[in-house]
Amino acid sequence: MALALTLIAQGAEAKVYRARLHADRAAQDVLLKHRFHKQYRHASLDASLTRSRVAGEARALIKCLRSGVSVPGIRMVDAPNGLLAIEWIQGSSVRFLLGSSDEPLDEPVDGDLPVSDQPQEHQHPLEPYGVSQDALMVLIGVEIAKMHLADVIHGDLTTSNMMLRLPSSSPSTSRLVLIDFGLAYTSSLVEDKAVDLYVLERAFASTHPDSEPLFTSVLNAYQTRMGKQWHAVARRLDEVRLRGRKRSMVG
Amino acid sequence: METFTYTHFPAQSSVVHIALFTSVGNAKDIRARIVKASTLGGPEGDAERGAVNFAFIDARLVTSRLHLQTAVYQAILSEAQGSLRTKTVHSEILWALNPSNNISEAIRRYGVSDSSSALLVVRIGSPDLKDVESLMRAIVDGTLSPLADLAALTDWSTVKKYYKLNGEPAIKEVAQDPEREREIVDNIIVSSVAMKSVQA
Ligand SMILES: Nc1ncnc2c1ncn2[C@@H]1O[C@H](COP(=O)(O)OP(=O)(O)O)[C@@H](O)[C@H]1O
Ligand SMILES: [Mg+2]
Repeated sequence: MALALTLIAQGAEAKVYRARLHADRAAQDVLLKHRFHKQYRHASLDASLTRSRVAGEARALIKCLRSGVSVPGIRMVDAPNGLLAIEWIQGSSVRFLLGSSDEPLDEPVDGDLPVSDQPQEHQHPLEPYGVSQDALMVLIGVEIAKMHLADVIHGDLTTSNMMLRLPSSSPSTSRLVLIDFGLAYTSSLVEDKAVDLYVLERAFASTHPDSEPLFTSVLNAYQTRMGKQWHAVARRLDEVRLRGRKRSMVG
Repeated sequence: METFTYTHFPAQSSVVHIALFTSVGNAKDIRARIVKASTLGGPEGDAERGAVNFAFIDARLVTSRLHLQTAVYQAILSEAQGSLRTKTVHSEILWALNPSNNISEAIRRYGVSDSSSALLVVRIGSPDLKDVESLMRAIVDGTLSPLADLAALTDWSTVKKYYKLNGEPAIKEVAQDPEREREIVDNIIVSSVAMKSVQA
């Protein structure tokens, strides 16, 4: 499958590894995502579903790359085997950096930092990144706006699906990186953009306590970057929230 | 010349040799030999096809070592899965490098042309194949150079044109910063080569 594999995470649909594709001293690590076979799905249906998921994720990534949205570069696609390799991002998920409510702060800060630079036990996880919490929210809002301006809908915006690069790893590149485009698709519809934002709002509320001001900062930055397109999305977002509230009252 | 081994690929395609030749003086002859080899019959034809059994790539259109490695990787993958779009794993590298699906265009743009003066030569083979550098030197009249010299040879404006990058926001954003622009162009092109088998 690849060289030097380390399992990073195992989700419901995919196993995620840190790996090397090329036996080359100059080679950079990649993140290898393996969408594995699902026992309960019909074999040929499973194969074509896996193939189209991998293809869809790769197509969304290349569209983002061309549009200047900060996402990992693509390094290898083997759709028949459900494999996608992307650039390894040296850093942590935003979920970890905000200190999610239901998880201890035990995500390892990755990288080749000398031991003395490793965060101390009681240090705030954002400390090594040189970015304040509010500045991080601005980065998130801007990147989502760039993605929506390119008519890419993420489909699963959560704080787990965005990462912050460590400053040492690449000084000139954008710090916030959107990841996990497995459910992404192309659409210019205001409805789809509003739902994308609503999903993130819910994710903030359920994962991070007292996150309302944080999400407000995200939206402010998003609004600025969206320019003329903001008003239509804002109006629709209010409608989507209302629908969500009604649904939860009924359910 | 550098050699990379891919233990997870079938043995006959598990070793990749890559060399950069600069100041190439016989590009025209190389091209003529490739064309002729494909038409010759009998043992003579087999021998000649063996002698030119490489991918010859115009170095001007390759943006980085990762760019070439990515095309090589995807070509071996296609061969291993029985899904080659071209005749050989070596011509498949040229197909992988070109943004369109047009095979003759890929060979015309990315292969050796009469005006090529720097060539990347690639041989994919089994671990048993020995002294590949001599086999390359027997064909190419040029200076064997470190792969790192590639950076100075890239024709960025042609690369951007073939990949239609000039109007893209990612490129316009960094118009003031040529070094950053090259990083971004390289990343988009590596990504495009990697995903060509599923491109829309
Ligand atoms: N490019 C990357 N570099 C480093 N780590 C990554 C990268 N992409 C994802 N990860 C890590 O792996 C986890 C799972 O990846 P993700 O693409 O979200 O897959 P899933 O569909 O299983 O959620 C992420 O939450 C993140 O921590
Ligand atoms: Mg995820």
